[in-house]
Amino acid sequence: MGIIFKKLNRFLLILILMGTGIIAERVGLIEYVIDPNEYPFIIIFFWQHLILVVYSMAIATIIGLAVGIILTRKRFKKIAGVVMYIISLGQTIPSLAVLALAMSFLGIGTKPAIFALIIYSILPIARNTLAGIIAVPPYLVNAAKGMGMPAWRILLEIELPNATSVILTGFRVAMIINIGTAALAFLIGAGGLGDLIFSGISLMRTEQLLAGAIPVTFMALVADFLCEILGLLIVSKGLRLASEH
Amino acid sequence: MIKYDSVTKIFGVGKEAVTALDNINFTIKKGEIVVFLGPSGCGKTTTMRLTNKLDTITRGSISINGESIAEINEVKLRQRMGYVIQEIGLFPNKTIAQNIAVVPRLLGWPRHKINNRVDELLHMTNLEPGLYRNRYPAELSGGQQQRVGVARGLAADPEIMLMDEPFGAIDPINREQIQDEFLRVQSKIKKTIAFVSHDIHEAIKMGDKIALFDNGKLIQYDVPEVILTRPKNKFVADFVGADRALKVLGLMRVSEVTNFKPQNIIAGTDNAQTAHKFLEENDFRYGIVVDNNKPLGYVTLKNLKYENGLVIDVVENYPHFEEKSSSLRDVLSYMLMHTLMTFCVVDDNGDFIGTVSYNDIQRAVKKSYSDEAEKDWKEV
Repeated sequence: MGIIFKKLNRFLLILILMGTGIIAERVGLIEYVIDPNEYPFIIIFFWQHLILVVYSMAIATIIGLAVGIILTRKRFKKIAGVVMYIISLGQTIPSLAVLALAMSFLGIGTKPAIFALIIYSILPIARNTLAGIIAVPPYLVNAAKGMGMPAWRILLEIELPNATSVILTGFRVAMIINIGTAALAFLIGAGGLGDLIFSGISLMRTEQLLAGAIPVTFMALVADFLCEILGLLIVSKGLRLASEH
Repeated sequence: MIKYDSVTKIFGVGKEAVTALDNINFTIKKGEIVVFLGPSGCGKTTTMRLTNKLDTITRGSISINGESIAEINEVKLRQRMGYVIQEIGLFPNKTIAQNIAVVPRLLGWPRHKINNRVDELLHMTNLEPGLYRNRYPAELSGGQQQRVGVARGLAADPEIMLMDEPFGAIDPINREQIQDEFLRVQSKIKKTIAFVSHDIHEAIKMGDKIALFDNGKLIQYDVPEVILTRPKNKFVADFVGADRALKVLGLMRVSEVTNFKPQNIIAGTDNAQTAHKFLEENDFRYGIVVDNNKPLGYVTLKNLKYENGLVIDVVENYPHFEEKSSSLRDVLSYMLMHTLMTFCVVDDNGDFIGTVSYNDIQRAVKKSYSDEAEKDWKEV
């Protein structure tokens, strides 16, 4: 039964691919993409989009990790609830409103877009860093402490490695949200693939709309895949074995 | 040497203050295992946590070789002490070798020295280094993990070991084995060990001395024999249990009660009738048959009476022989099982060196209690 289902799956996949090809041809997507007047712009927008995502994710990761780590230190544990609430406000505000707010005091262009994306991406990373470190069994920390490990080494050698997979999950969620939200950056003049999408909608040009929407989807899928690969690289083999048992 | 001097620990302040330890005084001598024993919440674990500054002392002082721990940096102090905990606490993200190497790395040992030490310790704990060095804790059984836990505690060759119910999480069969292994290792390395336990059997087995805690107070601190034969109060007597005479037997070795010159020895090559006469004349009910300095078994008068051949043909075999180091508790158990009153004692080569009988054991137990009774009387 399972085998038949698998074969059917493959068959369906081929059907979908063929269908997509036909639709792409019918709506003029292929023609649009190979048009020498259009495709350089697609590439430029793609790069703009990628740069927005990479910069904002890099900064959000640093801030998120730092906040998560600081809030798990003994001295700051008490204020963890309050701080997490403030950070979560960043995500409660609709993405469009965050962009608008950022524009109101940073003007238009790439800077406010990156700023808004950072605000939007910190929460999943910070929350999962906090949760991941708290979930490290207390006896591991106790053992490390009792053997005379200084606090910074406990953090680097015990707490963070054991929290890596949880942190990575947060990073992945933030990344996917970020890629999607970056499509809105066009609205405050930061370019990106949103340019194609919104213009396509306004002009009722399906091929242009798709030329923006498909790369965004593709970028999100690749990012998701890369996160999985990253997990295999940085999560200790010992932990993977432990979770299998 | 660890000296506890009027150690007091109070958790919390004001109305919520709880006295966890109340004026504790005792000294752990160099090379001794002292078991901190008591019911949960009695203060035994707190005492250990104060020793390596995982908790801070409220009043009093703890000193190591005369140096107060208050003057030693806590991280440095902990690196000087091996630490083994009940949950084992091997770091799942590190390999076995990396786990063992934690403290040597903290101390900045050169890499080749660390590698050699890891192999040495794995050998000592009966784990093949080539096979286990690069494995992860998740790939090991509970018993193997705890062996690695002990090895990790010993890694930097600390003078002092703190062991918090180290064998508590292991199944009983493996626990016995690991305890034996650990005692064997300890007899070579002679560490000063503070060992927390709630199990009286483990305490008797492992401890050179037992510190019995209750409700934050040190009730009795002495060698296991004295705790068993002369409990200080009802709490101690209840804690060690009504079978404490049997537990004393667990501490006594066959060599303490062996009769090295039994008279009823018969050679295996003797004629049965000669042997019969010899037993009758000396009024022995049975004889022990020894051949070529190896014990064979025993013969009774009834066996020999109508026999014309050699003694060796009618000998009844002993189910097994006792070694000098077996505990009297085991011997007594065999006696009950086989309804035999006497067993032969052999040395490491299996040569006959004497006998141990039920009467000898009974006398020894009686003596250990009467010694104490006498002391009591003198003190009064």
